[in-house]
Amino acid sequence: MRYLKLVGSFARASAQNELAYRANFWISLLHSGLEFATGLLGVVVLFGQVEMIRGWSLLSALALLGVYLLIGALRNLFIGPSLDALAGMDGEIWSGRFDFTLLRPVDAQFLASFRYWQPLALIDLTLGMGVLGVAVILLRQSLSPIHVATFVVALSAGVTILYAILLALTALVLWSPGFFFTWVFDALFQMARYPVGLYPGWLRLVLTWVVPVGIMTTVPAQALTGELSVEMLAGSVALAVTLFVGASALFRFGLRRYASASS
Amino acid sequence: MSRWLNHRGGWALIRRTWLSWMQHRSFFFLLAFMWMIPPLVSLFVWSTAAGGATVGGINRGEFVAYYLVLILVNQLTYSQTNWTVGDVIRSGGMNTILLRPMSPIYDALASEIAGKVVYMVFVVPVSGILALILHPELHVTPRNGLAFVPALVLAWALRFFWGYWLALLAFWATRADALLSMQDSLTFLLAGQVAPTALLPGVMRQVATALPFRYMVGFPVEVLTGQLDGPELWTGYAFQTGWLLVAVILFLAVWRAGVTRYSAVGG
Amino acid sequence: MAESRIRVRGLSKTYHVPERESGLVASLKSLVRRTYRDVEAVRDISFTVEAGEMVGFIGPNGAGKTTTLKMLSGLLHPTGGEAHVLGFVPWERKPEYLQQISMVLGNKSQMMWDIPPLDSFLVLGEIYHVAPGDLKHTLDELVELLEMQDLLTKPVRNLSLGERMKCELVAGLLHRPRVLFLDEPTLGLDISMQSRLRRFLAEYNRRSGVTAILTSHYMADVVALCPRVILIHRGQLLYDGELNGLAQRLAPFKLIRISLRDGSVGYDEDMSLPQGVDLVERENGRLTLRVSRAKAPSITAHLLNTLPVADLSVEDPPIEAVIDQIYQGGNV
Repeated sequence: MRYLKLVGSFARASAQNELAYRANFWISLLHSGLEFATGLLGVVVLFGQVEMIRGWSLLSALALLGVYLLIGALRNLFIGPSLDALAGMDGEIWSGRFDFTLLRPVDAQFLASFRYWQPLALIDLTLGMGVLGVAVILLRQSLSPIHVATFVVALSAGVTILYAILLALTALVLWSPGFFFTWVFDALFQMARYPVGLYPGWLRLVLTWVVPVGIMTTVPAQALTGELSVEMLAGSVALAVTLFVGASALFRFGLRRYASASS
Repeated sequence: MSRWLNHRGGWALIRRTWLSWMQHRSFFFLLAFMWMIPPLVSLFVWSTAAGGATVGGINRGEFVAYYLVLILVNQLTYSQTNWTVGDVIRSGGMNTILLRPMSPIYDALASEIAGKVVYMVFVVPVSGILALILHPELHVTPRNGLAFVPALVLAWALRFFWGYWLALLAFWATRADALLSMQDSLTFLLAGQVAPTALLPGVMRQVATALPFRYMVGFPVEVLTGQLDGPELWTGYAFQTGWLLVAVILFLAVWRAGVTRYSAVGG
Repeated sequence: MAESRIRVRGLSKTYHVPERESGLVASLKSLVRRTYRDVEAVRDISFTVEAGEMVGFIGPNGAGKTTTLKMLSGLLHPTGGEAHVLGFVPWERKPEYLQQISMVLGNKSQMMWDIPPLDSFLVLGEIYHVAPGDLKHTLDELVELLEMQDLLTKPVRNLSLGERMKCELVAGLLHRPRVLFLDEPTLGLDISMQSRLRRFLAEYNRRSGVTAILTSHYMADVVALCPRVILIHRGQLLYDGELNGLAQRLAPFKLIRISLRDGSVGYDEDMSLPQGVDLVERENGRLTLRVSRAKAPSITAHLLNTLPVADLSVEDPPIEAVIDQIYQGGNV
C-alpha cells in the first residue's frame, strides 16, 4: 500500500545520503567490526574464567549476545536514526524544522518513526544472526518450527517494546527540548548485553519491570534455548502492546502541546 | 610575556570555561551517566561470577572496588577536548586560538579541567551511593596510594596527547572523529574495562600490556587496588612513560605539520 | 467549486509564559510557585483573501506575522477566533487540507543535506502523492522558471544560500498547492537573488493562480509582489488595503542622513534648519533629518549649500520608523 511505498522511498533516499561520504562506509564497517569484537570478547573472557554463572554457559550467553546485536541492529536500522532526527543533537524539535514534518499530509508518528534509514546496520544484523546461529547450533538444540516461531514472536515483542520506549522518550522532548532523553535509554540498553540473571536481584527487578531491557533480549534467547514459559511469552507480548499504545498516545499528546505552546 | 607562561590568562580561561559549562550541567551529567554504565555492567557481571568465591584471585568485593575506582579514573582521564579539536579546525576556530597570546594548550587544558570538575560533581556522589549499596573491598596501602597519583596523572596525559594527535589528523581528513571513536572502543577492550588486565586470556593479556591503552585507564586502577607487586609496578611506569613520550612526539610532529599545512592552505 | 478563500475572523493567540527573573532568590521562589505572564502575540485579527490573491503581511520583527501564518497552516492552535482556509479549519490538520497547502520558511531548510535536491524532491513527491508524470512536468516547469538546471545534481550542502532558497521554493511547489505561505523567503539573500526570486513568485502566481500570503520585513518584497498589504504591529491588524495607499498615507517623508566634516558645526545647538525639517538624531557630527517627500529635493540642495557636508544620503524610512510614527499618531 501507500505507506509501504513511502517506506521504500525513504529507505532509498537514506541509502543515498549514507553513501554520500565514501569514507563513511569503511569507517562504519570498521566500527561495526570493533563493536562486535568487543561484545564477543567480553563474553568470551568472562566465561573463560568461569564455566557457568547462575545457569548460563558460554554458549547460552553468546546466544543472548546474538539477540542483543540483532535488536541493536534493528534499532540502528530505522528506529534510532528516525527518532534521533527529531530528538537528538541538532534535532528537528530543537531547530524548529519539526514544523515541516507537521505540515505533511502523512501521519506525523509514521514519519517520525520510518523516515531515516541506516542501511549499514544490516551488517550488524548479519553479525548478530551469525553469532546467534553459531551459538544455537553448538548448543545442539534441535530447532523445531515452534521454537523458531516463538522466537520470532518474542523478538518482535522485544523490538516493539524498544520502539515504544524510544518513542515515549522522544515525546518528552516535545515538553523539554534540550535534554536528550533517548540517550538515557541507550545507555541502559547496554545492560541487555548479558543475561538478566547475572545481575543482582534488585537490578534484575528494575531491568524487567521498570525499564524492560531484560525482556528484550532474555526472552527471545530463552525462546531458542527452549526455556521460555508460555506465561512469559504472553506477558512480553502484552507488555509490548500496552507500551506501544501508551507511547503513541503520549506522542500525540505531545504534538498537541507543541501546537499550543510553540511560537 | 612568553606564550607558555601566561598563567593569569590561563586561570581566567579555566574559570570562564567552568562557569559556562555548569550552565549546561544536565547535558554533562547525562554524558557522565552514559560513561558509567559499561564499567557498571562489568562490575555486576564479574561480581556475580565471583559469587562467594574468587575469580582469578579476585573476590566479589574486590571486583566492586576495582570497577568503582575505574569509573572515577575513567572519568578523570577521559579527554573530551579531543572530540572538539576536529570541529575547531573545520570551522576555522583555529584562527582565534592561534592568534591568542597564549599557547593553544591552555585552551585545551582549560576545557579539560573545567569539564572534569563538572563531571565529578555528578560522578563522585553517585559512586559514593553505589559504594554504600554494593560494599566494595578496598585496602589501600600507603605505597599504593602514593604510587597511584603519578600513575593517574601520567594516564591522563597519555590519553590526552594520544587522542589529540589522532584528532589533529582533522587537518587532513574530515572524519578524524571516527578514529577517536575507535580509540574509545580499543580503550574499552584493552584498558581494563571488559576485564581487569590480569584476567585477560593469554595472548590478549600480552597485547594489552604492550599497547598504550592499559596505561590510560587500567594501570592506575590496578595500582590503587593493589593488584600489582613491585616489579610489575615499575614495569608499568616504564611502559606508561614510554608511551607518553611517543604520544607527545607524535603530537608535536603532527601539530607542526598541521599548522604549516593549515596556514598554507588557508583556514 | 468548493470554497477557495482564506477567511479569518477575530483570530487571537496568547501565550502563557513562565516568568523567569534572575538571581538566586527568584530561582528558589520559582520552585515553589510559578508565576506566568500572558503574551498576546496575535490580537483579534480579521481579513479575507480571495483565490489567486498575493497578500503581503508586513510589520516589524515580533509583530505576530509568523504566528498568524503558523495558525493558518495548522501548526499552531489559536486561543480565540476562527479561520477557514479552502473550507477547512487549519488546526484540525486534515490530510486533505495539508495536501493543498504549502509553507516556505526563509531561514529553515526542508532538504536532506547530503544528497542532490532532486532526490529530496522525489521523496516529497511520494509524500504528497504526486503522480510521477505530473511530478516531472511540474519540476521541469519550476526548474526552468528558476534557472536551476545545474543545481539539481549538486549535494545541498554545496549550494549557496540563494541556490538553496530556489530548492526550497521547488520543494514547496512541486505538489501544486492552492495556498502558499511564505515566511521571510528573501531573508539573508543578496539584492540580485532577491529580485530574481520576486520575479519568479510574481510569474508563478500569474501562471498558476495560487493564493499566497507573504511575510517580510523588507518593504521591497512587498512593493514588488503584493498589490495588497496587511500591516500587523504588536499582534494587531493596523492596515489592510492597497499598497499605494499605505506608502502615501504612512510614509510621506524621507530621511536625510548627513555626515559633517570634522571640526565643524557638529556640537552646536544652533543649527538653523529650514522650515519643515525635523532633526531626528544627532551624534558625533552625523545628523538624521526628516523631511516631507515633496520638499526633499529642495531641502537637500539647501543643506548641501549651507552646511559643511562630507557625505549625504536620502532614504526611505524603514518600516519600523513608519509604524512607530503611526503608533504615536494614532489610527491609520
